[in-house]
Amino acid sequence: MGKIRRGLGGTSLLLAVIMAIAACAAPQRTTSDTDGDQAGGTDTGGTTQPVAAVIKGLDNPFFQTMQQGIEEQAETTGTEVTVQAANSLGDTTGQADRVQTLAGQDYGCFIINPITQTNLVQPLVQVANAGKYIVNIDSPIGEEAAQAANLEISTYIGTDNVQAGRLAAEEMARLLPEGGDVALIGGVAGDATSQARLEGFQQGIPDNIRIVQTIAADWERQRALTAAGDILRARPDLAGFFVANDDMGLGVVRALADVGRQGEVKVISVDGLQDAIRAVQEGTLSATVAQYPYAIGAMGMEACQAAMAGETLPENVTAPVVVVNQSNADQALESFPRPFAEYEDPFADLLGQQ
Amino acid sequence: MTQATTSPSWERLRDPSFWADWTAAVALVLLIIGFSIASPVFLTLGNIQALLLAAAILVVLTIGQTYVILTGGIDLSVASILTLGSVVLGQAYSRGWGIGVACLLAIVTGTLVGLINGLVIAKGKITDFIVTLGSLSAASGAALVLSNGRPVQIADPFLLRLATGRLGPIGYFVILAAIVAIIAHFVLFHSRFGTHLLATGGDTEAARAMGINTDRIKITAYIISGCLAGIAGVLLTARVGAAEPASNTSFLLNSVAAVVLGGVSLFGGRGTVIGPVVGALLLTALVNGLTLLAVSQFYQPLAVGIVVVLAALLMRYQQ
Repeated sequence: MGKIRRGLGGTSLLLAVIMAIAACAAPQRTTSDTDGDQAGGTDTGGTTQPVAAVIKGLDNPFFQTMQQGIEEQAETTGTEVTVQAANSLGDTTGQADRVQTLAGQDYGCFIINPITQTNLVQPLVQVANAGKYIVNIDSPIGEEAAQAANLEISTYIGTDNVQAGRLAAEEMARLLPEGGDVALIGGVAGDATSQARLEGFQQGIPDNIRIVQTIAADWERQRALTAAGDILRARPDLAGFFVANDDMGLGVVRALADVGRQGEVKVISVDGLQDAIRAVQEGTLSATVAQYPYAIGAMGMEACQAAMAGETLPENVTAPVVVVNQSNADQALESFPRPFAEYEDPFADLLGQQ
Repeated sequence: MTQATTSPSWERLRDPSFWADWTAAVALVLLIIGFSIASPVFLTLGNIQALLLAAAILVVLTIGQTYVILTGGIDLSVASILTLGSVVLGQAYSRGWGIGVACLLAIVTGTLVGLINGLVIAKGKITDFIVTLGSLSAASGAALVLSNGRPVQIADPFLLRLATGRLGPIGYFVILAAIVAIIAHFVLFHSRFGTHLLATGGDTEAARAMGINTDRIKITAYIISGCLAGIAGVLLTARVGAAEPASNTSFLLNSVAAVVLGGVSLFGGRGTVIGPVVGALLLTALVNGLTLLAVSQFYQPLAVGIVVVLAALLMRYQQ
């Protein structure tokens, strides 16, 4: 008896703790339409069904900004939205479980940013079978896998990472008119995003700039810092670094500061995070290729709203990519997290037509 | 203890167990010879300074891990505690509490998580693997909650000096790591606590029969590990100039690998402090050398894996 009672006590304590955590976390996870009026929705409030979004890990400001874009766009029309994320960028099965859980609920449209090309295909089949819309943002769902599973994706709003790398290469060419040696610092070796950005850079770089070394720093700032220091000692005449994301880019900037060569060795990274744009403003980071996760998230939400309103969506849309350097950093920071330049947004047009 | 193996008799060199005890040191010497032939930069003062600086954080973490593994346990939460400590520092600093308070809070946080680990393991009689696996997740979750997932840039003159300052040719980081290592060595081999720790790890039942409070020894080991992880968190923040909630998983794997390379038995009760320190230097030197030689990013993890397994094979000859 005593044992049972103790067991029950333990279980109820556990339940209480879980409930308490859930209570703390709840307001962060969902935005209801309560403050939709304040936001002053300009579009028609015809959409009633809630939207679910499952994106990559939230431990990176890139995806937090994406979440912000989704939620703020939802607010403009009073659409209810739940944003869920994987625990980390490696949590492929955890992300699939989340989609699975949401699939059984009453959401009209799913905004999906899969970690790999295939990890969400299985649970999404259930979503598609229920006649719900799937809007794929940022990283693509593998075409072959989708076809094999008979999965219909309403639209894909893609971040062109190869293009981002190419833009970085053009900027590097502009900064190094005389040419020179550059080193590449990637994320996890073999990671698709990292690979695409590095590939784009390799494609876009002119002949007088030589890529002498490629290193994987696993998306960790500290690893990038150490690697950059090592490379600089091995190649004192190195002219520049191309880094696959801003976080690592700021690590490289730190390594340059440690040896007093800030600004002298060029550093270009990708993402367009606030801290990175500030570093560009200060002149420590040469440039960042901004991909505007805010716009990606907002466009994903617009696509859902348009789809649920019965509009036909374009198959493929590319999200804006802009090089932020000294000439436009002030502007970029001012409008952050929104893009400072006009960009093509077919979904806004669709919603506007109503 | 393995310390006695330093006697210069040539007979010892033919004994495979001598080589096994000094695996990390032997491998490090071989590596240094190899890299210095292949790269003219490797043995320069600048590179050695940088190498030691880069190794300092791992060394501090590894020493904590060593204490835990010597009790026969394992601390899977070290890297998460490091992240949490860094985030606590960042949050405290951004609220204007001063850098001293912020650093202290980071270390206290690490110590507290270590205390919780130890209490649950020793008093709750739950396997260390499960408990620290749980706190690995909980601590990184707490770091995300506290920071709201956002990194904080910290441009503090004190931290900057700590990260880049030198006493003569030796960086403050390196001095700090060396002090930690020396203290840890003396505590392990020249204090009653150290003797009891080794006894607890060697045979818990026997130790308890001899009147050693093994629970307290275990809890203390986890507290030490947590506290050192907190210190490592301060060092990491100083080094990168930011407090980030992102996980630093490579630190966990490297800390365990360094301990094993250092000849510490995973079953506890047997090992040194200097061994794991050399193990940590070995792992750092390996990545440093491969980077200097511009070895492809795809081959680097392969090389690290092979070295770890080879070292483990060599250690089979341990007595």
